[in-house]
Amino acid sequence: MRAEAAERGAAARSDRGIRVIISMIGLDSHTTGAQVVAALLRDAGFEVIYLGPNQSPAMIVGAARDEDADVIGISAHASNFALIEELLALVERDGLKDVPVVCGGHIPPRQVRRLLERGVARVFPPGSPGDAIVEYFAGLGRRG
Amino acid sequence: MKYATDYGYEIKPAYGPRDVAGLDYERDLGDPGRFPYTRGYHPEGYRSRMWTRRMTAGLGSSRDANLALKKYRAMGQTGGLCVIHDRPSSSCIDADHPMARKENGVLGWPGSSLAEFEALMEDIPLTGQSITLLGCCAPSALRLAYVVALAAKRGDPLAEIHGSVTESPFSNPFGQTDVQPFDLDMKLFLDSSEYIVRNRIRMRAGIVGQHFQESGGNDAQALAIELAMLKEVCGRLVGERGLAFDDVMRLPYQLVSIGTRFFEEIAKVRALRRMWARMARAHFGAQSDKACQLLIAVHTSGRTMTYQQPLNNVVRCAIQTLAGAIAGCTAIDNATLDNAYAEPSALAAQMSLNTQHIVAVETGVADVVDPLAGSYFVERLTNEVEAAAYRVLAEIDARGGLVAAIEQGYVPDLLESEARRKFRALDSGERLVVGVNHLAVAPHEELFEVPVQEVEASDAEAIGRRMAEWKRARDMAPVEASVRRLHAEAGQGERHNLMPAIIAAVESYATAGEIMGVIRVARGLEYDPLGMLQCPFRLH
Repeated sequence: MRAEAAERGAAARSDRGIRVIISMIGLDSHTTGAQVVAALLRDAGFEVIYLGPNQSPAMIVGAARDEDADVIGISAHASNFALIEELLALVERDGLKDVPVVCGGHIPPRQVRRLLERGVARVFPPGSPGDAIVEYFAGLGRRG
Repeated sequence: MKYATDYGYEIKPAYGPRDVAGLDYERDLGDPGRFPYTRGYHPEGYRSRMWTRRMTAGLGSSRDANLALKKYRAMGQTGGLCVIHDRPSSSCIDADHPMARKENGVLGWPGSSLAEFEALMEDIPLTGQSITLLGCCAPSALRLAYVVALAAKRGDPLAEIHGSVTESPFSNPFGQTDVQPFDLDMKLFLDSSEYIVRNRIRMRAGIVGQHFQESGGNDAQALAIELAMLKEVCGRLVGERGLAFDDVMRLPYQLVSIGTRFFEEIAKVRALRRMWARMARAHFGAQSDKACQLLIAVHTSGRTMTYQQPLNNVVRCAIQTLAGAIAGCTAIDNATLDNAYAEPSALAAQMSLNTQHIVAVETGVADVVDPLAGSYFVERLTNEVEAAAYRVLAEIDARGGLVAAIEQGYVPDLLESEARRKFRALDSGERLVVGVNHLAVAPHEELFEVPVQEVEASDAEAIGRRMAEWKRARDMAPVEASVRRLHAEAGQGERHNLMPAIIAAVESYATAGEIMGVIRVARGLEYDPLGMLQCPFRLH
């Protein structure tokens, strides 16, 4: 299943020319949200690289660098959000500061505020309209 | 507004006798306690046994989870306890693993050794209530070993312990993914199942349809998947392990999800009883009545618990609990008002347990068995969901059963496209959810912020440090002897039952990561599923 998703992710460059990493973080395996958003963005003409579950912050940053991604999207389900903060630190350390980190999923308001303070570009709660997600990602291309 | 079930059956404004024209009472329904058990297994229903009302516990350290269990007992949860693993131990990764560091105690109990189970169960009896441990398939055999080992230490006769601590590997492709390979999970699940059946232990194995539905599957698909899981598991225990089908049926229970579409959910459970009874007889040649009676427990839907206006979830939970009670089940565990945020706070747990108590003692729905039988609408819905489920089941059978249908991508594609369809239905306003896409309020206008139970990174790291220290302080000689034995036995073929060796390893305080690690090595896999650790044992 995962290989197949990766294959689909590696498909030809999209019309928008924006490369998006969509990933779970840590051992969180509630993949439905990530899969739905990946499909939504793909249908809207983004090039999506879906990493799936069991990704450490270092693996995600590595993939973003290797894939020359424009944006990293993290789907998180009621986790301990320290892993997202670790990801932010690695993004900065590796000089990917122009690659925004966007989060979605079940993240309590207090954690949302904290993540935004630490540098997450945007958090989409469950129930966010598809159009709003597409529109926001469309504004994140680095290649104009 | 669309008038249709989630599996696409168009609902009419009214129903009458013509909608159930072919229904034959004796053949298709039967009195409660009579084949095909559409109406349930007990002539007296809940009068002979009220459903077990329980909450899922597990957050933070084993001690924290122990305190939560004691609190639930004080709230009237005396029929049975239910605990779920945290993420690392769900995957049989130890708390001191680099990937576990920040996830210990998150969304569950860090149960990766007998020492943790002892701390979890401190001052709580193993007998006199059902013991349910959940959270992925991988640790199933270990959980059974914990129970066997602790019972022996306490001097409790194993025969007096009941509950369910194992679950089938089919949660893996449906959003409850552990990091162990499917064939290894299946082998150990069959080992634990065979051990339970042969030793006549009163433990059930969870065949968890809930995960499929909670990941976005529709009612008819969920029903088909539930039957396909049973067919595959029972078929293997009979075919590969040489057990008699009627004995095997002492093992499974089906955990179904109940959402807010009230009548449809009730119809689904009624159809499940009937479809299983017929499959047990026609496909497996069941001899006894018991083997035709599938034990069904209900989980009210976590998926429907909204992030927005969380107090609305109390109402959803009540509607779903009512549906579960009317549908007929052996146990209910509820989602909670704060389910979209974290594991339940004490307030949320109390609300959910009290919801069950209110339905049980105040509403009168528990007084009469299958009170909706004979409703033109509910009988028609039962027939419709059954027919739609049989169509999906035929597709799965045509692919060679559920394992094959998953490997060929049929089932994952089914689930993914259904999840996308559900998202679009919400996004377009075809389905309304109050507070989300209907009557929504801006975040700053929320009138209530739920108290959230959180595990901080420091708590998670403390659990990991404690395990590292505890590992160093163990008496290593018995650990090493037991893992060497386990490694040797794990090389003796798929059908060699590893349960006795796993129990011995658990008793020596080998950990989940170590036990699974040496089994992996014997199967030619890396010791660590995430490729970060080396095997610490000399195995030859």
